[in-house]
Amino acid sequence: MSHDIHKYAFFLGCIAPNRYPGIEAAAIRTGKKLDIELVPLKGASCCPAPGAFGSIDLNVWYAMAARNLILAEQMNMDIALICNGCYKSIWEVNHKLKHNDELRDSVNEVLKEVDMEYKGTSNVYHLAELYYNDEVCGLNKLRDSVTTPLSGVKVACHYGCHLLKPAKDREFAGGAIGDSEHPMWFEELVDALGAEAVEYRNKMQCCGAGGGVRGYDIAHSLDITNEKLTNMTAAGADAIADTCPFCQLQFDRGQFEIGQKFGVEWHVPVLHYCEMLGLAQGMSPVELGLDLHQTSCKPFLDKLKGGQ
Amino acid sequence: MVYTGKNAAAAEAPEEPRIGVFICHCGTNIAGSIDVPAVRDYAATIPHVVVAQNYAYMCSTPGQNMIKDAIAEHHLTGVVVAACTPRLHEPTFRTATANGGLNPFRFEMANIRDQGSWVHMHDWDGGTAKAKDAIRIAVAKATKLEDLYPMSVPVEHRALVVGAGIGGIQASMDLAAAGIETYLIEKQPTIGGRMSQLDKTFPTLDCSQCILSPKMAEAGRTPGIKLYTLAEIENVEGYIGNFDVTIRRHARGVLTPNEAAAKGIIGGGCTGCGDCSNVCPVVKPNEWEFNMAPRKAIYICHAQVVPLIYTIDFDACVKCGLCITACGTKKAIDLEMQDELFTIKVGTVILATGYEAFPIEQKKEWGYKLYDNVITSLEFERLICASGPTIGHLVRPSDGETPQSVGFVLCAGSRDNTGIGKPYCSRFCCMYSLKHAHQVIEKIPGCRAYIFYMDIRSFGKAYEEFYYRVQNEGAKFIRGRVAQIQELPNKNLIVVAEDTLLGNQVQIEVDLVVLAAAIQPTAETEIVRRQFGVSCSGDKWLLEAHPKLNPCGTTTAGVYLAGVCQGPKDIPDTVAQAEGAASAASIPIHSGHVELEPYYAQCMQNLCAGCGMCTRLCPYSALSMTVVDGRTVMEVTAAKCKGCGTCGGFCPGGAIKMQHFTSPQILAQIDAFFLGGEQ
Amino acid sequence: MTSAKAYKDAALAARLSDRVYRPAEDSDPSFTAEVEKIGGTAAHLCFQCGTCTGSCPSAPRSSYRIRTFMRRANLGMKDVCLNDPDLWLCTTCYTCSDRCPRDLIPTDVIMAMRNMAAKQGIVPKNFLATVNFIYNTGHGVPNNDANRVARVKLGLEPEPETTCKYPEFLPAIRKILEAYGTKQLADKVLSEGQ
Repeated sequence: MSHDIHKYAFFLGCIAPNRYPGIEAAAIRTGKKLDIELVPLKGASCCPAPGAFGSIDLNVWYAMAARNLILAEQMNMDIALICNGCYKSIWEVNHKLKHNDELRDSVNEVLKEVDMEYKGTSNVYHLAELYYNDEVCGLNKLRDSVTTPLSGVKVACHYGCHLLKPAKDREFAGGAIGDSEHPMWFEELVDALGAEAVEYRNKMQCCGAGGGVRGYDIAHSLDITNEKLTNMTAAGADAIADTCPFCQLQFDRGQFEIGQKFGVEWHVPVLHYCEMLGLAQGMSPVELGLDLHQTSCKPFLDKLKGGQ
Repeated sequence: MVYTGKNAAAAEAPEEPRIGVFICHCGTNIAGSIDVPAVRDYAATIPHVVVAQNYAYMCSTPGQNMIKDAIAEHHLTGVVVAACTPRLHEPTFRTATANGGLNPFRFEMANIRDQGSWVHMHDWDGGTAKAKDAIRIAVAKATKLEDLYPMSVPVEHRALVVGAGIGGIQASMDLAAAGIETYLIEKQPTIGGRMSQLDKTFPTLDCSQCILSPKMAEAGRTPGIKLYTLAEIENVEGYIGNFDVTIRRHARGVLTPNEAAAKGIIGGGCTGCGDCSNVCPVVKPNEWEFNMAPRKAIYICHAQVVPLIYTIDFDACVKCGLCITACGTKKAIDLEMQDELFTIKVGTVILATGYEAFPIEQKKEWGYKLYDNVITSLEFERLICASGPTIGHLVRPSDGETPQSVGFVLCAGSRDNTGIGKPYCSRFCCMYSLKHAHQVIEKIPGCRAYIFYMDIRSFGKAYEEFYYRVQNEGAKFIRGRVAQIQELPNKNLIVVAEDTLLGNQVQIEVDLVVLAAAIQPTAETEIVRRQFGVSCSGDKWLLEAHPKLNPCGTTTAGVYLAGVCQGPKDIPDTVAQAEGAASAASIPIHSGHVELEPYYAQCMQNLCAGCGMCTRLCPYSALSMTVVDGRTVMEVTAAKCKGCGTCGGFCPGGAIKMQHFTSPQILAQIDAFFLGGEQ
Repeated sequence: MTSAKAYKDAALAARLSDRVYRPAEDSDPSFTAEVEKIGGTAAHLCFQCGTCTGSCPSAPRSSYRIRTFMRRANLGMKDVCLNDPDLWLCTTCYTCSDRCPRDLIPTDVIMAMRNMAAKQGIVPKNFLATVNFIYNTGHGVPNNDANRVARVKLGLEPEPETTCKYPEFLPAIRKILEAYGTKQLADKVLSEGQ
């Protein structure tokens, strides 16, 4: 097992630092035990949101994402991030600009006005993908870092969309991660923390928030969330694990909104994988800011204690 | 081919070449995109061209007569036709050249259609300029052409058929009936192929085995058919008329009565009694039943195998010897048997290597191998077949229950451009899926059949009527490609699609899903193809010589195609093509000799230094060293040489001449292109 | 489908309005080309199998049919596409794009149409609100006081290491948004709504 320190420029996005800061805190702290060092990416902005922003003008989406990429290039570092939406913007724009000279030139033309130039020298990774990658971390190292196993709880994994799809444009090494129909790597990550990941119907379905739909038609968006919650709880899930703060927001606040709008009650705690990892490494719920979640994490935490 | 050698003018060896150029309009195929009169006028100015003419269809009788007449009138030494491709009309114009009294190899073609007007359809000036170049190059070669004489070689009065499915069986039977001794080689322990795994055949619903097994039996007992099962092609040498094919017979571990007799075991050899299998302690899944039934380490695939000889799976056998005891005095079992190699000589070859299902689990959205009750159509055939693992009672794999609703997923991996599936239509899935729907409705009262389709392609004789019948029987047709299959805890399946005619998503709960998986060539096809030097198309099916006019032939003389190895086709089409291939393969054998193009290498032995390096380079083993007048030099076995030019290009002393592609000819062409004709 | 009937009774004229598709009047071939250029996918190769709608999480709960949009893209039905409110119901989950047997990316066809609609000022306000948030703070979801308190409790700085903490990066962001006219579009459309 390697103990080389892997350093990344930490791209925060919006929702993690500004709504679920526990994810940010957990990512930084848990990384120390995994030899993953997350360095601040100073001056980063919104990725920007691929659905809401890309829908208006893909060109400005490219340029804004390129600006964030350039900040990492200037640090000579690869980017690690914690949000599927950010992954779509930052990874995909990086990929497009690396492979499309015409597009890169047109973006650089505009960025020249702010004295910046995209060069294509950095790579972009989701932290979840790095956790799974044996060359960076791997399941064994993850397992070894666990001090308080999350035993006795069933967890439904929500992969989200924009990390894996469109699969034909993604370039995950090996292919274990790249499968967008029946992947199992997230379940393996959750199992490594001592929890029991459960399979549920239509696992790869969207949370309902993306593409600007949450803002455009909240009822429509929540109806999708409600279907997912139905399938997850049918499989006995005590909690939902996600890799995307926006999906987390949709499930976490969505349960309250579903209650208000549809009169349907849900109480399924929603945790980002970094938060679960933090718990498993012994961080307290308060240190993880779990009290900031709108849907109480208490039933999950109680069940954990009961199991221990 | 009729010709009289050099004409009078050529015999006097004129100082200057005299070339005639004939430009074809091909209707508007060429004349619609190229300025033919301008090309003709240009051609007339090329050095050595004494006549340049154009005509609507040079391949027509008047067109050919123009060539013939011009040879006589202008005492031509060479003929250039600028038209389509040599693949299409080289024989036509060679004949015309010969009819005019010139050696037919004094003809050269300029391809200004397939490589000219068709690719530059919207570039009048560019296409015209390219046609001029092509003609100038052809003229340059024509000035250097020499008289050549095809070589006639005898044809071995035997044929080889590779693959003993219905296509290979039919071709072998036809060849044998035509008096040609035919070797029929099959990799499996039994002949019969895919058709023997099918239950009923569409649209007639006759039992597949019932119509196939008489043919299998006949193929097994026809004296003119030398049948080798559990055998593969090891090596191929030679050429049309004289293929030397080495066969590997895998060790079967069981002697046939003939083999036993040859070993002096009187009345011995396998009788197919099965006593050995009964005592064998090793149980393995039967691949022939798609692993849905068990077999022993000594086994037959099914009850109707031909030949009825047991086979030992040496990978599974523990050599306990119980079978030897059970076999008793027949002494049929030889646990130490080794593979056997032997070489046969045949005049022509038919490839009939068939198909297999594409690994449909790669289309993960349908959950094959992930969900118990998602099966393929070939598995369905075995499950609905009276001789199958469930004696014809269709059950779902998860619990053995009779399904009350079945979803059929068409185009499962066919018509798929994602790079995972196959871009082509597999052609018979629509029809067998209709048949499957009919079967579940007939066999299971009240069972619902849902057919998810994009288009129903019921193009054959009585096929559309069968579609009508199945619809009338109550099958539900949903016009939409299945997006996803979900599994419920009770192992029922939800088929999700859009009913595109309704414009709504449909989610239908069924007990069983049958995927009409795309087909692909068998793994052996690629190996056999390379052994015989046969091309394949981009989708890996074997390439016919011409898609319309020579669908049974290949570009390798003497090698023909039958059945699905050439492209997806159903049983009637396979049998028809097999009969066509047998007919085509019998022609050289019956005519007794074939003419080989004189495009072989010649060693100019006065220049040869005898280094021998060329002999190792030759892919066809056509070159050898010999001693002439005390000097070691190379000599060419002309019949083996394919004229590939490897040796000629390599020879450090320039001692090897490639006939019809000589260095002066090729240099003249290059000069003509780069120097614009100023040589 | 474009011609209105000059009937005196407006209700009747609407009920009996022309529902025939006439390519000469109803199709704009440049629309197909533009959609393909922005979306980077050959929409005209769609063969209407319905895999996309079958994969769509929005289809079962709305009239949004991604297959229909693909058809309209093929037929050059620009006005119908850009004015259809369903255009904004795609969650961009890309499931259709993963499964399309013609290897097209229907999601990016939708994105292209949204871009074209936005250019015409047809864009839901929530999308433009995001633009203004980013213009003002660098974030689509900005920080707030409650969150600052929470961050400090977790041992983090009140402002994350982004434009929140380093507002000196904001001018460049604003320049980019203005260079593409995105800010101007947001201001114009949002003010019209007032």
